[in-house]
Amino acid sequence: MLLKTAWRSARPKGRVQDLQSQALREKLTILGVSILIPLAILVAWELTTRLGWVDPLFLPSLSEIVAEFWAMVTKGYAGTSLLSHIFISLQRVYIAFFVGTVIGLLLGLLMGYYKYIRAAFYLVTEVLRPIPPLAFITLFILWFGIGEVSKVMIILYAGALIVMLNTMAGVQACPKEKILAAYTLGANDLAVFLYVILPAALPSIFTGMRVALSVDFGILVAAELLAGDQGLGYLIHDASTFFNVEALFVGIFLIGFFGLLSDVVLRVLSNRVVHWQGH
Amino acid sequence: MKNPPLQQSIDQQSSQAVVLDDPNLSEVVVTLDNVSFGYSYKKLILKDLNLTIRQGEILTLLGPSGCGKSTLLNLIAGFYKPLSGLITHGDEVIKAPANKRGVVFQGNALFDWMTVEQNIGFGFRFQKLPKTESRFRVRQIIDLVGLAGSEKKYPYQLSGGMRQRVAVARSMVVHPEVLLMDEPFAAVDVQTREGLQEELLKLHDQVSGAILFVTHSIEEAVFLSDRIIVLDRDCRGIFEEIKVHLPSPRWSAMNRISEEFNQYRTQLYLKLKELG
Repeated sequence: MLLKTAWRSARPKGRVQDLQSQALREKLTILGVSILIPLAILVAWELTTRLGWVDPLFLPSLSEIVAEFWAMVTKGYAGTSLLSHIFISLQRVYIAFFVGTVIGLLLGLLMGYYKYIRAAFYLVTEVLRPIPPLAFITLFILWFGIGEVSKVMIILYAGALIVMLNTMAGVQACPKEKILAAYTLGANDLAVFLYVILPAALPSIFTGMRVALSVDFGILVAAELLAGDQGLGYLIHDASTFFNVEALFVGIFLIGFFGLLSDVVLRVLSNRVVHWQGH
Repeated sequence: MKNPPLQQSIDQQSSQAVVLDDPNLSEVVVTLDNVSFGYSYKKLILKDLNLTIRQGEILTLLGPSGCGKSTLLNLIAGFYKPLSGLITHGDEVIKAPANKRGVVFQGNALFDWMTVEQNIGFGFRFQKLPKTESRFRVRQIIDLVGLAGSEKKYPYQLSGGMRQRVAVARSMVVHPEVLLMDEPFAAVDVQTREGLQEELLKLHDQVSGAILFVTHSIEEAVFLSDRIIVLDRDCRGIFEEIKVHLPSPRWSAMNRISEEFNQYRTQLYLKLKELG
């Protein structure tokens, strides 16, 4: 893109513009497009539904969804306040994500560093990897009951596996020269691990965490769809049962919103910690 | 006894320096005694090799690809163990990497998560040295290699040549007895490369210590070395050994275009041609 800009500015077209203002204009255009297009979609949505081109049963208008959202905020949904639904879902996903990340990180570091541990768990992980975590959901309910534990456990499992695999890959991908250079400068095994291997694996670890978090949200909704009487997944499930399409959309939007918010937080954190790659 | 007059002590020092200049008379630092190495006895890379690195000299290994130059360097670093034979540093057998043997790789060896300063000071984390002393030495070497102003930068913000300067400084700052350099300047452009070579010679002048240099470039070998060893193909060992005498200061760019330089280059070129 930079190349293209430079090439264009090299041939004066009417008014000669310098590179900097050219680049600024490009940035503004990108920003404008990225805001205007979604806005246009929302407007089109509202218009088509208002004008009755789409059956509101399939796609309610935006304003109706907002109204339903406001009703939920004031009166709650299914005997529980909307905040409680949100809170319980976020609690499930964050606890599972946090514990899963810690476990996945530890296992991944061990497996990446010690080839014998890697060998010991190789087959297990290779078998587990392609199985969608949701395949285990009824099994988890059988083992851990229908309450909180089974939901948290299934999310935890899904996230931990992803973090583990990414951490392991990150540790193994650490360039050999860096490790050897540290040894020749007097570092012992522990120092090499702490100062070289671990930081080298951090970008990969954060990638794993971000993937895990988005997967965790998916598993959360699925787990709540199946069982429970609280949470955003339950809200969606309940709304579908009663054909309350507006409430269904509210649930979907809320999950999207908190999923996005969590990812943004994690991304900011990741860019802060892994600042040495240049963004 | 009274102190000797100033002039006399300078004379003594300079005469000593002359003695050290001759590799034959200076002390041996690293010895390879009948060293063989390979991934199996059937497929040897090095066979019954004898070699010494002497104090303060710059010794370069030249030879066709696959002749075992880098393997030899890795053995001395302690990354591999020989199948047979003995490699000693001083009076101890080399078994593992140690900070009295520095290594500079072709690239990719800097710690991307550390600043230039932190990279260079890394070796001091494992030494019991007063903070002021280590800081001073880091400061000094940063100035010497022309990295002043870049102390707080991260490797991704540096050019390839700058990164290699950091790598060299990081190894040199802890004053290793031997610095092993495995084609350290192969990945930078020619102009930068010549600058790096000149800086290396200046650094070597300041921080005494032997250097074992592996390269493919005849010019680089002649410009840098006190002694050049050409390794033969198929682990036949040392094919040729040439001592280089060029006028000081060795880092003078004039050396690159001198008659002697050309003679050495021609001689080496023909030797390498013989090897095919």
